[in-house]
Amino acid sequence: MYSRIIRNDISKSKLITLTTAIFVAAAAMLVSLAAILIVNLSGALDTLMTQAQTPHFMQMHSGDVDTERLTTFAEQNSNVDQFQVLEFLNMDGSQIRLGAHSLVNSVQDNGFSTQSEKFDYLLDLDGQIIDISDGELYVPINYLKDQTVGVGDKAVIGGKEFTVTGFLRDSQMNSMLSSSKRFLISKNDYDEIKNLGSVEYLIEFRLKDLSALGAFETAYAAAGLEANGPTITYPLFKMINALSDGIMIAVILLVSALVVAIAFLCIRFTLLAKIEDDYREIGVMKALGLRVSDIRKLYLAKYAAIAAVGSILGFALSFLFKGKLLENIRLYMGESENASFATALGVIGVLLVFLAILAYVNGVLRRFRTISAAEAVRFGISRDKSTGAKRFCLHRNRLLNTNVFLGIKDVLARKRLYATMLVVLVFSVFIMIVPQNLHNTIASSSFIQYMGIGSYDLRLDIQQTDHLSEKAAEIVRVMSTDPAITQYAALTTKTFKIKTEKGTEENIKVELGDHSVFPIEYSKGRVPVAEDEIALSVLNADELGKKVGDAIILVIKGQETQFTVSGIYSDITNGGKTAKAIFKDDAADVMWYVICVELVNAAHIDETIAKYADSYAYAKVSGIDEFVAQTFGSTISSVRQASHVSIAVALIIAVLVTLLFMKMLIAKDRYSIAVMKALGHTDSDITVQYISRSVFILIAGIVLGTLLANTLGERLAGAMISSFGASTFHFAVNPLSAYLLNPLLMIGSVLIATILGSLGAGRIQISDNIKE
Amino acid sequence: MKRMIIGEHIVKSFGEGDEKHHVLDGVSLEIREGEFVAVMGPSGSGKSTLMFALSGTDRINEGKVVFEGRNLAEASENELSDLRRTQMGFVFQQPTMLKNLNILDNIILPSMRDHRKKRVEIVEKARALMKRVGIAGLEQRDITQVSGGQLQRAGICRALMNSPRVIFGDEPTGALNSISAQEIMELLGEINADGTAVMLVTHDAMVAARTERILFMRDGKIASELKLPRYRGADLDERIEKVNEKMREIGV
Ligand SMILES: Nc1ncnc2c1ncn2[C@@H]1O[C@H](COP(=O)(O)OP(=O)(O)OP(=O)(O)O)[C@@H](O)[C@H]1O
Ligand SMILES: [Mg+2]
Repeated sequence: MYSRIIRNDISKSKLITLTTAIFVAAAAMLVSLAAILIVNLSGALDTLMTQAQTPHFMQMHSGDVDTERLTTFAEQNSNVDQFQVLEFLNMDGSQIRLGAHSLVNSVQDNGFSTQSEKFDYLLDLDGQIIDISDGELYVPINYLKDQTVGVGDKAVIGGKEFTVTGFLRDSQMNSMLSSSKRFLISKNDYDEIKNLGSVEYLIEFRLKDLSALGAFETAYAAAGLEANGPTITYPLFKMINALSDGIMIAVILLVSALVVAIAFLCIRFTLLAKIEDDYREIGVMKALGLRVSDIRKLYLAKYAAIAAVGSILGFALSFLFKGKLLENIRLYMGESENASFATALGVIGVLLVFLAILAYVNGVLRRFRTISAAEAVRFGISRDKSTGAKRFCLHRNRLLNTNVFLGIKDVLARKRLYATMLVVLVFSVFIMIVPQNLHNTIASSSFIQYMGIGSYDLRLDIQQTDHLSEKAAEIVRVMSTDPAITQYAALTTKTFKIKTEKGTEENIKVELGDHSVFPIEYSKGRVPVAEDEIALSVLNADELGKKVGDAIILVIKGQETQFTVSGIYSDITNGGKTAKAIFKDDAADVMWYVICVELVNAAHIDETIAKYADSYAYAKVSGIDEFVAQTFGSTISSVRQASHVSIAVALIIAVLVTLLFMKMLIAKDRYSIAVMKALGHTDSDITVQYISRSVFILIAGIVLGTLLANTLGERLAGAMISSFGASTFHFAVNPLSAYLLNPLLMIGSVLIATILGSLGAGRIQISDNIKE
Repeated sequence: MKRMIIGEHIVKSFGEGDEKHHVLDGVSLEIREGEFVAVMGPSGSGKSTLMFALSGTDRINEGKVVFEGRNLAEASENELSDLRRTQMGFVFQQPTMLKNLNILDNIILPSMRDHRKKRVEIVEKARALMKRVGIAGLEQRDITQVSGGQLQRAGICRALMNSPRVIFGDEPTGALNSISAQEIMELLGEINADGTAVMLVTHDAMVAARTERILFMRDGKIASELKLPRYRGADLDERIEKVNEKMREIGV
């Protein structure tokens, strides 16, 4: 009997059933996709890092390495499982030609390595450890992704010719967020080109027990070993690898939460209308002695059927789309070992959506309890107790056209019904604006300020060369007289010892110089301005357990010196653990120099880059836009895609829901429409009334949605961005699109939907609805 | 005969404060087992309200209703539902069937909850009842595909499905022409003869004349009462005359 009720009911309300099913399917699909992606990402990442045996602790070092001392340290430290020192031959981009492309404009530190013997292997695309012969070259995977080069192409490195034999996955440096890229060549070839670049050392450890990493870091620092370069640990490798796809998953989760909410609203809306329609029947069933829970089952059955079909469909769709979304994960990390687990989790996710819908429908149906059987049998309709619009009377109306007036009056009189539509529109506007603002924000040049990089036009990096300071001073002198340059700041990075709470000593890299020239965003506090002030990156502050205003002690020239933490900032450069201060120091070794430059005319950036790159071959000169594009390019483009998809999704939702809403209103208002027609109102009068209702709600929806997007949306996006390490965050809004184009698009679509939806009013016959 | 329903000083009012008015103003009455009762009175006198009160469909403000020894005021909503479903049957003036179900499904709807009974048995019983009231063969029709009289018969079948102790009918013949009305009353008489109590609300003296006790209501009170011998198929005109006479006497 249930199945008959369902069938009859569905065939009488096809559009409503279909729309609800679509939203349920979309919600199920997104939830399932998110689950599948999460499992695959973590699985593939685990597999990659296990197969490659990623180091637990890596210290980059330029300068001489005392291997003997390191070996002794490794042997004596009971926690060390394996230890090795790898070489990374840093080569200028101009020396590298891949097929038809030169890497001269690459902001990556491209370098060469041989396959390691103990761990930290470079893997081929099947996850196997690459065994390489002379003359062969394996290229980092990102150059496959951006199609710089293909297998079989020729590559020329410092004049020596190689054949690109394949692509490699590097569990350390895969991500575009990590600034170095390793190419793999054979031992013989390596020796041959070794003198063409500068060697950097990767001092790597694998520990017996990863949980002892903190203690090991302290021990390494305390031993005063090689530390001229960034330190990166296993968790950070993992984070960097997971980030771009993680953001995509976060966006999907956000959207799926919204779609689930919209599915709920749709259900609520159709259900409330249905209850109103069936008011008398429900009352009769109650009078006949059917329990409320039994009557509820009759209604629940239909939604259970819709939800079941929608969920299954959504799950199937998620299988259709998952290939596309998994592409990037597969390329960079390979297959996940627990694919079947992913499916299982997808099923669980879909099941949750299904159960949530049932629970929700059940909740809405609780309204049955308040329906009085006696009244329903007697009057047949529920008497609306809404009083809101009582003072809004036609005979007092002077301002508005009568049709517009009637439209608005109806909205005010049936607030509850229209509130549902309002909420859907607010959601749509929200979905439309937030991803777009997010894209604008991370694409804007000021976004890098959240990442620990000031807002300048170009930067010169000087490292791994002799007489660093003199060379830097020389460049600074030239710059000070260069008319093309408005201002510049030379920042020196040095390593100092820092006293921890426990009394042990650790290394900390401090960037010295004037940090107020190109300020970055501080999540707390401010830039250091006094000699005894220091700012810490979020990672460092967390690790040291310091807040703004706390004191820390650095060892400078053998002396313990106290500093006050003036601010905390986000940073993704150099492993995320940095500090900034302005005191002068000439004792400690300089690790690297960065000179940041702002130009009079940013359009001439290429000439300036060329000029300095030619004159100072040892410095790496890069434009900041180029740097951003290459570092965040793939993230930015996937967020841009997501924002385009969201606009489409938002419009589809708005159109579908408006259409649905109008159809239902017309069906419900049959009688009053017939009365109005009998009184001589034309079809277009009635259409104008419906349009006024839509527009009224629409305007409220757009205003509220925009407000919400810029407050709550900003917070949400901020939470997502903070996974980058950035904690303060403000939207960069493009007013033209956010405040003009998007609302116009929305208004246009909703109006069209309204007109289409209210066409049915013309078909209503007076005689069918008014019987004497 | 045993008393089945006892109403004591029932008060039902609507509205608050100044607007408050008593629709039932201290009504007391008894319905005995197997009795055939009619309630008459002008429009708005509280007839329907009285029926909702006696059947536990609506809660009352004062007084009490006892059904088979149970005080309805003390029963929960679910208990009241169960009571109405298993002990009482209802026939309303307007067709009160679910649009999405055919005739047969509508008839068996209130019985489907009782799992003790087998589905086949329920359907068998429904078919038998339909045959008895003369609508066999209409099982698969939609409710819009049958006449008003047929629909009302289907309603009676539905009311009889659980073999109730009492059937309440609010103007069960109100929407029918007089021939159909007579047939329905014939049917209700047969059902009553089988031992089921029947309580009807009606405006029609011809309908009331077939019952054995008629209560006349006015302004929320029982104004008068008329007892007749059990109707056995003869002297209907005489009985109608008695009812009309009584109505004139009390001025309704
Ligand atoms: N929910 C309610 N709110 C306010 N007044 C009500 C309500 N239900 C009934 N009434 C009033 O109670 C009075 C009695 O109603 P009731 O339906 O019992 O009359 P009735 O005798 O059945 O009349 P009719 O012969 O027209 O069916 C009427 O005046 C009616 O207006
Ligand atoms: Mg009545």
